[in-house]
Amino acid sequence: MSRSKIVGAIEIGTSKVVVLVAEMADGRSMNIIGRGQSTAAGMKKGEIVDIRSVSDCAHAAIMAAERDAGKQIEHVYLSLSGSHLWGFRNAGATAITGTDGIVSGTDILRAAENAKSRGLEPGEVYIHHIRSGFILDGKLVENPVAREGSHLEVQYWHVAADEQKVKDQIMVVNGFGLDVNDIVISSLATGSLVATEEEKRQGVLVVDIGKGVTDYVLYKGRRVVQTGVIPVGGDHITNDLSLGLRVKSKLAESLKKRNACAMVQKEDRTKKVPLVGDLSIGDSFHSQLTINKITHARLEELFIILKNRMGSALTRQNLPCGMILTGGVSRTPMIQELAEVTLDVPVALAQSPDWVRNSELQEPEYATVLGLLYNALHDQKENRSDDGNTPKKTWFRKVTGLFG
Amino acid sequence: MEQPGFFPEQDPLVEDQLPDGTLRIKIIGIGGAGTNAVDRIKLEDLEQVHLTAIDTDSQVLAASPVEETYLLGRTVTNGKSTGGSVSKGQLAAEADSNALREIVRGIDLVFLLAGLGGGTGSGAAPVIAELAKSQGALVIAFTPLPFKREGAGRCERAEKALESLRKHCHAAISLPNDLIFEQVDESATLMEAFATADKWIKLGVHSVWSMLFNTGLINLDFSTLQAALSEPGGRTIFGTGYGKGENSLEAAIKDLESCPLFHLPDPGVIKETDQLVLNLTGGPDMTMATVNKAMDLINEKLGSKSSLIMGASIDGSFYNQLRITIMGTVRGTGITKGFAPVPAASIPPNGPVAPPLKPAELFEAKEALTPSKREQEEFAFPSQEENRGLFERTQRNLYEGIDLDIPTYLRRGIKIPRN
Repeated sequence: MSRSKIVGAIEIGTSKVVVLVAEMADGRSMNIIGRGQSTAAGMKKGEIVDIRSVSDCAHAAIMAAERDAGKQIEHVYLSLSGSHLWGFRNAGATAITGTDGIVSGTDILRAAENAKSRGLEPGEVYIHHIRSGFILDGKLVENPVAREGSHLEVQYWHVAADEQKVKDQIMVVNGFGLDVNDIVISSLATGSLVATEEEKRQGVLVVDIGKGVTDYVLYKGRRVVQTGVIPVGGDHITNDLSLGLRVKSKLAESLKKRNACAMVQKEDRTKKVPLVGDLSIGDSFHSQLTINKITHARLEELFIILKNRMGSALTRQNLPCGMILTGGVSRTPMIQELAEVTLDVPVALAQSPDWVRNSELQEPEYATVLGLLYNALHDQKENRSDDGNTPKKTWFRKVTGLFG
Repeated sequence: MEQPGFFPEQDPLVEDQLPDGTLRIKIIGIGGAGTNAVDRIKLEDLEQVHLTAIDTDSQVLAASPVEETYLLGRTVTNGKSTGGSVSKGQLAAEADSNALREIVRGIDLVFLLAGLGGGTGSGAAPVIAELAKSQGALVIAFTPLPFKREGAGRCERAEKALESLRKHCHAAISLPNDLIFEQVDESATLMEAFATADKWIKLGVHSVWSMLFNTGLINLDFSTLQAALSEPGGRTIFGTGYGKGENSLEAAIKDLESCPLFHLPDPGVIKETDQLVLNLTGGPDMTMATVNKAMDLINEKLGSKSSLIMGASIDGSFYNQLRITIMGTVRGTGITKGFAPVPAASIPPNGPVAPPLKPAELFEAKEALTPSKREQEEFAFPSQEENRGLFERTQRNLYEGIDLDIPTYLRRGIKIPRN
């Protein structure tokens, strides 16, 4: 018991702040012992617009989670999203220096350094360097160590973010008196939870359509190949409905949750749905067709943007496992059908793995925080050997040190 | 529907107009500059294209290698030129209208090449255009405009002529010589400068020609072009760009932007109802990805999505090369004309006008306002912010030039039924 750690996973989302507290024993197993959440205010499109209200919400959620758990959080894992995140592919190459032509660890390190050496714009920081594979003499290899060759290339997917925005998020947690151990971008956290190993090997795209933004991650051959954020989410549907029907955002939001459907159907033509639906006087009726047309246009556009971003990676051939949809918007009826029609790949709705027993935690809202915990567990198991999947520790010290 | 006997022999006009289904194209050069341009096109053999040179100056015509020449206004100018008089040019064309009608009879597509600013080009071209149109032809005019240096009077004449040409042609594409002058380097001779102008005209004609005659992956045919240019009177958009090598697409788009024939209207001027035709000519190695990307890039430039009709044709000799041609008419001239009136309640009388993103029927003020609607209007803002609602105070959410925060259905012009 003395080796157990209390780990908190915090996601400051556009819709709500979700905090899970887990007890990790020896890096082998974890129990989720606390949960807290609050409706987020001051967030738009995955980014902080009003740091004070975000702080208040986050602190309320953390406090609730700690109270629920009955323990204080010791380590914090924070997820990060927002359109300021961007990723790019950069490979590092090196010649094999050993006289015997056998690849050694230093060769890999050197190639990795090359790959990571690309400078960023001022005001940007690296969040992740994700290794997506080795190419030894033009051939893709799983692990090049101790193999013979002359030229080693290591492929990396780098994720960079706006330094100020990352600092803001960290500051919110720091404000509660907690240090941030690690930051993981939302798409990675979600992806690691909802995609199975088999799916990751064959190739799968995990798309998390949240309230503010859409995060996606593409796996292929067990590796992360691409990640990204599209600054469109459920709020956009609400806003479209609110402008199109001329109703308040709040009412548009509830109307969306009750009645919006991703595809236009035949019977919509004549169907009318009430705005409030509580039989109150003055309640107005709106055409189901209008609602669905607006929703359809927005979601279809989102999938088209996704398709453009992914290019040829998003085809039936290259992506046999297709796409996994999660996030609040994935609850929209018919969204699966729409995605299938637009992207021409098999589409499934995300399911939490078996180890998540609590039915509430199986809801899409918890996918990201659960993924964070899952990552944290693996982190401890692997004792942070630099597998390329985690950021350099020094960087965090640098950033978090500013507020500590 | 078959209607035997509907085209009786006694009407030779109609009979003659029903050839074996092939397109008849005629390029008519009018005036000195137009004749020169036709002469140059003569050197490049285009299939199924007939050339005609028309001028009031017999000397010019005598020097022309083109088979069909017509001396205009023999009775008006006695075979000497109009001397820069537009009214003389017009008179000459009107006097010979019967003969001119004969020239354009049975032609499907007429290219008019006329240098504006002089007498014959400015005066006769609109008349000929009108005649050709009345004979059922699609009329596309390529018109070089004079240098500013050639004098204000000449420029003014050219402007007026262009104005009337626009009325009578399905498409009038102007080519300011000043732009040409920017392209040639300073040591270029006058001959070379004018040759460049002719080259551009030739290129324009050629790109339309290849759009119609090269086998298409995604075929654009004459009817499509006709539909896109069906209403005379609007502003014509025309441009062509060429790229080569690995980044042929980027190069072609860059070239397109520098094309002197290409005057991009402001985004927003193009409405969803306007039809623009985009044609890509590439080698057999052209990929669908290139086509898609080209569409995206052009869409982004034009700021309008659904108004673009795309074609892609293959030219066997175009390996690793790409030509982009865009053509169409934007109806109406004013920016705000034809767009929805801005809802009165939300905009102060003299406030800036909302962007023309919404079709009229969407936002017509309804009489019965529910309480919720009244509140909605409280945060309606004038200017572009208006369409962003919830996101009004956030950064613009740009993706390939479009603001994603503005509702998709507005940007796409999807009509949504209202109660």
